Amino acid sequence: MLAQKLHLLRHNVLSFVSSRTGSDFTRRQYDVIVVGGGHAGTEAAAAAARLGAETLLITQKIMTIGALSCNPSLGGVGKGQLVREVDALDGLCGRAGDAAGVHFSILNRSKGPAVWGPRAQLDRERYRQFIQSELLSTPRLTVLEGSVDELLVSQPNPEEPGHHRVTGIRLVDGSHPILSSSVVLTTGTFLSGSLFMGQTTSPGGRMGDAQSCAGLSYTLKETLGLRVGRLRTGTPPRIVKESVDLSLAQLQAPDKQPTPFSFLNTHTRCKPEEQLPCYLTHTTPGVERVVRESVHLNCHIQQDAKGPRYCPSIESRVLRFPGRRHQVWLEPEGLTSDLLYPQGLSMTMPPELQLRLLREIPALHRAEIRTPGYGVQYDFVCPTQLTPSLQVKSTQGLFLAGQINGTTGYEEAAAQGLWAGVNAGRTALSLPPMALSRTQSYIGVLIDDLVGRGVTEPYRMFTSRAEFRTYLRPDNADLRLTPRGFEEVGCVTLRRYKKAVSVRDGLQEALMALQSVALSSTRWREKLGNISLSENKSTTLNRKQCWTFTIEIYAVYRPHCEKQSREMERIRSEESLSLPSDMDYLSLPVSLSQEVREILDRVRPNTLGAATRLPGMTPAGIIHLLNYLKLFTHCKRRHA
Amino acid sequence: TDAYLYSQSSVCDAETIFALSSGHGRCGVAVVRVSGPASSMVLRNMAGLTQALPPPRTALLRRITDPKSKELLDRGLVLWFKGPHSFTGEDSAEFHIHGGPAVITAVLQALGSLEGVRPAEAGEFTRRAFHAGKLGLTEVEGLGDLIHAETEAQRRQALRQMDGELGRLYQDWSYRLKRCLAHVEAFIDFSEDELIEDGVLNQVDSSVRQLETEIERHLKDERRGERLRTGVQVVIAGATNAGKSSLLNTHRVPPSRGTTRRPLVEREGVRRARQRVEQADLTLVVVDSTQLPPDPQLVAAFLQQHLSTVLPSPEAGMTAASDKVLLVLNKSDLVPEEQRERTEGELRERPGLPPACFLSCSTSTGLEDFLTVLQSRVKTLCGDPLSGAPSLTQARHRAHLQQSVQALNQYHQYRDQDLALAAEGVRLALTHLGRITGRVGAEEILDIIFRDFCIGK
Repeated sequence: MLAQKLHLLRHNVLSFVSSRTGSDFTRRQYDVIVVGGGHAGTEAAAAAARLGAETLLITQKIMTIGALSCNPSLGGVGKGQLVREVDALDGLCGRAGDAAGVHFSILNRSKGPAVWGPRAQLDRERYRQFIQSELLSTPRLTVLEGSVDELLVSQPNPEEPGHHRVTGIRLVDGSHPILSSSVVLTTGTFLSGSLFMGQTTSPGGRMGDAQSCAGLSYTLKETLGLRVGRLRTGTPPRIVKESVDLSLAQLQAPDKQPTPFSFLNTHTRCKPEEQLPCYLTHTTPGVERVVRESVHLNCHIQQDAKGPRYCPSIESRVLRFPGRRHQVWLEPEGLTSDLLYPQGLSMTMPPELQLRLLREIPALHRAEIRTPGYGVQYDFVCPTQLTPSLQVKSTQGLFLAGQINGTTGYEEAAAQGLWAGVNAGRTALSLPPMALSRTQSYIGVLIDDLVGRGVTEPYRMFTSRAEFRTYLRPDNADLRLTPRGFEEVGCVTLRRYKKAVSVRDGLQEALMALQSVALSSTRWREKLGNISLSENKSTTLNRKQCWTFTIEIYAVYRPHCEKQSREMERIRSEESLSLPSDMDYLSLPVSLSQEVREILDRVRPNTLGAATRLPGMTPAGIIHLLNYLKLFTHCKRRHA
Repeated sequence: TDAYLYSQSSVCDAETIFALSSGHGRCGVAVVRVSGPASSMVLRNMAGLTQALPPPRTALLRRITDPKSKELLDRGLVLWFKGPHSFTGEDSAEFHIHGGPAVITAVLQALGSLEGVRPAEAGEFTRRAFHAGKLGLTEVEGLGDLIHAETEAQRRQALRQMDGELGRLYQDWSYRLKRCLAHVEAFIDFSEDELIEDGVLNQVDSSVRQLETEIERHLKDERRGERLRTGVQVVIAGATNAGKSSLLNTHRVPPSRGTTRRPLVEREGVRRARQRVEQADLTLVVVDSTQLPPDPQLVAAFLQQHLSTVLPSPEAGMTAASDKVLLVLNKSDLVPEEQRERTEGELRERPGLPPACFLSCSTSTGLEDFLTVLQSRVKTLCGDPLSGAPSLTQARHRAHLQQSVQALNQYHQYRDQDLALAAEGVRLALTHLGRITGRVGAEEILDIIFRDFCIGK
């Protein structure tokens, strides 16, 4: 067990000097408390503080704030869009990626700018440093080292729906409670987490960290009566770089010119020539043999908790698709790190077998393992119990974000964290909750999928989940989100807002100018030559450097987006009709089939839009709901 | 934002929708409703109103014509509702037409052929009305029937159709299209990190092309609905003096509900005659009974031989056993009754021969039986007009299939330039097909991806 020390981080671990050093040690009340210092927790705390809420971040170990628990990379196809959106709302991860990246590339270059995936390999140390120093310099944000034992709840506010109301937390050391009307839980894999390696199992959420959250688990399940499910994930062994024969692997160079994630940055901290390469190699039949021989020694893969289909362990890949060569990426862990991260080789067999397996791969035939791979199983709260603001429907003031909601991935966690932090802050400041539409952002798609449909396996973002993919592009995330983030949400700083507005105005001016010139297509071709986006491999996403390019993307997609705008309008209007969370569907006095009633009762969609997307919902059912809603709001207005 | 920019440059109008809103099945008058910005255009085009529109909410008796072919479809009442004073709050029009399925189908198909006009989704009228704030509380109770007409009947009808051969065909297309989409999506979302062979897209190319060809062919071949509109093409064929003209003149046939018939007498040369027979929906082969062999046992072989001279070769898909042929044994009054009865017994359910009817055009003996057989044939060809099943949803299906094929074009158009836009074409095609076969969600596509590919990163 960790010593449960209460440690207020005002004078720091990083010899970072905060302007608020020495302020009150004894504060017992905050506007917002965030539990957990991972990707969700850090974004949540920073967002709540940006909104103006006095915020407390509680984490088990201050040193692990901003740690990359698994892969040393950020972004990718779909995930890169999330990073750009978090950045557009003034979140941390985009800028952290620019500070920590050591290998930048834009995936899908040849497939159209809407599905480009900005990605970077990261230096773990630099990432952690950036996040920690950002948090420590954020006004109104306090960081506390400790373990939360209990969530304090009381009777609900009768004016609002819900059965409970959050009032604060109590730490494991049993000291005085810390009060708050808004609590964000971002406990990752620590909720009833267990670690698996070979035949051994131990409680915990990450190797080397204390177990925790037993008390929290109890509160969530027993006191609040939340439905939980169990998921599993895993991480590969870390390999000593010197022991790898890289000449037997294929070199993967980064982009010559790194493209920053953040709309605020024009270049990355890492210089183009300082970037590190990745290496590609493949599994062999020997790998498959070792997996088969070790199945009986492998508890994790014999369990029935659901693992992801897209980031499976090498065990499940080999068992599901036998007789194939599987790709293994050897990724740098940082500029000074002596380790390599073998992406695609997450495994849970006993360590000696892990070594045997690695050495079946030619480039790894002399590989040494620094830390073995392991599996994690953990509880998640079924996210259909949340509202689109990521608040638990039954508990006023309680917000959840990250893996606790059944997602996987840093970017997914960061996106939810930011939005939960925004709403926790708004709640604390007595502002109404806000939702992001799936027509406007990947974050909206992510949250709508989670709260509307729930998860059956760890949820990861793919571009195929977004209906309006050609509009939700990485290049226009700032135009889509930053103005609203400033004007309505309050999570965007003035500096960023001004920048986005000037981009928007400039773009509009340029487009108007272009539209005022009318020429036949032949004349245009004479003047411009043949332009094709995809042929231009060296273009960057950076708007500053390439205005014409932004306009080009815009022009290519515009006719299509216009066609889709009607559908967007329809979805938005349906999303704006919210269904009361306490609606008694089973006895609603409208003509609905029993089947439809049960579906509605089980899922309890937040909006009419969510109801429309439920499998098994009939058009007639939707119309009856519409009519009921109208009646309902009418009556309410009369009562008021 | 971009949306803001878009709205600067174009006015985003809602689409114009139409639907039969008087319910399905037998009815004297049918009401077809149109709603959306193109309503006035629809009214002008279909009701021949070249000048001003009629005053709002005033019935006007007009000839209703097909805007493309200018063919007369019906005479009926048209009404114009200027938004917001309409059920949906939008510009709307109504066509009150005769209730026969042929007329209804013809009008619906004509509407579907207009640019920017599409069949309404189930419940869409009501939904638009709701969003426009047009559904008063008093109306809620009365909505039951309407919703029923718009949704349940449509759904049941679609289900009935989905059971059959057509349903299986559409489901098969839907399945293949889903796979195409899943493979394109897999290529977009995973090919940078995974072993997804480059050949995947080439396979999609050919699958999409194959689907396009099949759907287009289906749209051309599927004439069942059109038969109701243009009438069944019936050819009367036979040797000189067999009684073809007499048969035509006897044809004061009470029309099978909702169908119009334009029998053709074929008096031209043998080559052209055969050509006409090939194009016909139904061929009546008239035989002079007195020319039949007196021995009833030889009649079948005789008729077989006779048919092979009258009908085109079997390669043309026209065999004697085809349900497109009826044998009419005319001048039955000139054959001894006993011989006729024995021959009849001999020919009953004879494999390889179409049904044969003894008939006397001069005395009308046997006419009733013949008409019963004829009517059942026409019903099969047109779909049972009384149940109204296949033909009414046909216009909707056609429109969606056409849109689906158009969307697939977009795939090829963008395939090498912008895969996101190419994929959008396949998505759109699947959306349109999904309006017939059921909605396809992102999860279903992901299921196929993870089944077909090993995604590891």
